[in-house]
Amino acid sequence: MDHLETGRLGESLAERYFRGKGWVIVGRNIRVRGGELDLVALDSDELVVVEVRTRSIGKILPAEETVGPRKLRILVRSGKIYVEQCRWTGPWRIDLLGINLDIDGSPRMVHLPDITAGRIDA
Amino acid sequence: MGTVIGVTLKGIEAVPIDIEVEITGGLFVIAVVGLPDAAVKEARERVRAALRANGVLLRGRIALNLAPADLPKVGSLLDLPMAVGMAVESGAAAVDAPSLFLGELAMDGRLRATKGAVPAALLARKMNVPLFLPPENAREVSLVKGVRAFAVPDLGALLAHLRGETPLSPLEEAGVETVDPPAEPDLSDIKGQSGAKRALEIAAAGHHNLLLVGSPGSGKTMLARALRGILPPLTDEERLETLLVRSTLGMRTRNDRTRPYRVVHHTASTIALCGGGASLRPGEISLAHRGVLFLDEFAEFHRDLLEALRQPLEDGSITVSRASGSVTYPARVLLVCACNPCPCGYWGDPLEPCRCPAHVLERYRNRISGPILDRIDLHVSVPRLTPEELVCLEGQHGPSSGEIRDRVSMARQIQQERWKKEGFLSNAEIPERLVRTGIRLAGDVRPFLAQAARSMRLSGRGISRVLKVARTVADLRGNPDVRVEDVCEALAYRGGALANDRT
Repeated sequence: MDHLETGRLGESLAERYFRGKGWVIVGRNIRVRGGELDLVALDSDELVVVEVRTRSIGKILPAEETVGPRKLRILVRSGKIYVEQCRWTGPWRIDLLGINLDIDGSPRMVHLPDITAGRIDA
Repeated sequence: MGTVIGVTLKGIEAVPIDIEVEITGGLFVIAVVGLPDAAVKEARERVRAALRANGVLLRGRIALNLAPADLPKVGSLLDLPMAVGMAVESGAAAVDAPSLFLGELAMDGRLRATKGAVPAALLARKMNVPLFLPPENAREVSLVKGVRAFAVPDLGALLAHLRGETPLSPLEEAGVETVDPPAEPDLSDIKGQSGAKRALEIAAAGHHNLLLVGSPGSGKTMLARALRGILPPLTDEERLETLLVRSTLGMRTRNDRTRPYRVVHHTASTIALCGGGASLRPGEISLAHRGVLFLDEFAEFHRDLLEALRQPLEDGSITVSRASGSVTYPARVLLVCACNPCPCGYWGDPLEPCRCPAHVLERYRNRISGPILDRIDLHVSVPRLTPEELVCLEGQHGPSSGEIRDRVSMARQIQQERWKKEGFLSNAEIPERLVRTGIRLAGDVRPFLAQAARSMRLSGRGISRVLKVARTVADLRGNPDVRVEDVCEALAYRGGALANDRT
């Protein structure tokens, strides 16, 4: 399984995970200028842009720790463009879902809601 | 004015700050405008965490305006009103009537003590609005009469109160205890020095400034400490004034009537003594307001520091002006100074010869300027006792501190009664005009005083200061009019210890 397949598997797992939480999935792999949004969903009346990170066993860093400041800036910028394009006026946030695959392929999920936490000036 | 009101401090005064919140869609962010300082900006993190801990999740773009927009906001005391404002805007609580909120938030929503609770209480009383404050500040605020205040243990309890679920009960007003100040040492334990003891009594009774001059080991510092035990209790009004200064610094408060007693070391800076600094805080002279400011080793202080005392000693308040604004702090102190008569310490000592050359003595005396000495009413020499007196084991040496304090309190009451109409509390603080019209003199005093003023070369201020001291002496004796004997005693403390020695 190469890393692209791993990623697609992760996104499917994520979709199932959030559906299970009662979120409405709006879209997957949405391309905007300067980036791509892995998953967009509605958590009741708040729009959530989810960055899904999947890693197979043997990597040093767990998946949820691989988003740095640079990626975060790109996410904020892409998210803003998307929100503007679809004319969403309500609140929105960026979540991170880390999926670590074990040897037998079973996923361990870490969900970090609202990773910007008001610290990035919008 | 809106319903959620915070405060910021300007000197010892609390200024109301209107908290306006707007929440719109967008990525979560808290933007604070209205000249917040670093502590107010950082409140965003505390407020968010505290609200989250109490089940209020913030989202969207939150704009927070602190009005008036051009006044700089200082300190962490705006945490609570900011949190309440956001909770109200996001629908988690409702504030129907204007209310004052004060407090620093912990991440879990508990409230921490802040400075400025007493000024805020006075503002709440003036605006006639309820005040919500941290439990640790409840004690000082309970000493202010007529305030509807609520001690808030944590943000959750406040939100429940505002929603009307579990109402908080308002603070009870605390009574004031009259505790006798510590007599350490007691005046009856101090041998000899009857002249200095009498001067202490007069200083305590009329709030007159005092200078003690004596050789090393003669007991100047001990006498100054003993003054603490004979000071009259604070009146309600005075207690509130001292409370106000302590509260703006966030210092602990006592609920008794003991007067402040501040000892300042001679390495102190002018800012430490007079107040000021980047964030404008009151100095030692304001902390000693209505009490004693003791400068030991007076001649070792920097000269510019002593000169800075001239204006507050005269006016009873100090105005500090900085780029960030100018504020006035109260500074009605009883200044007690102690120093040696010369650098070696034995000038005029009966046993030890003075080893100071004339020019060294001259330079030493020059450190203390005439204008400062002119503002000190009582100059007292504290001679060393003879070996026979020191070794003697006899128990009592004159009346105890308790007895003297009773006399002092009595004299202070007479003064307060006399100057009630004009709003003064002691003889030392009355202005020139009242000295001329308010102090009744016996018939033969005027010519006597004119004669004395000529021979002692007294200044205009000197004469009025002598009259004030004479008034206190007469009050201690219970004389309704000032007599020649009272003026005589007052003159005896004038210009003795340091100034006259020069000739």
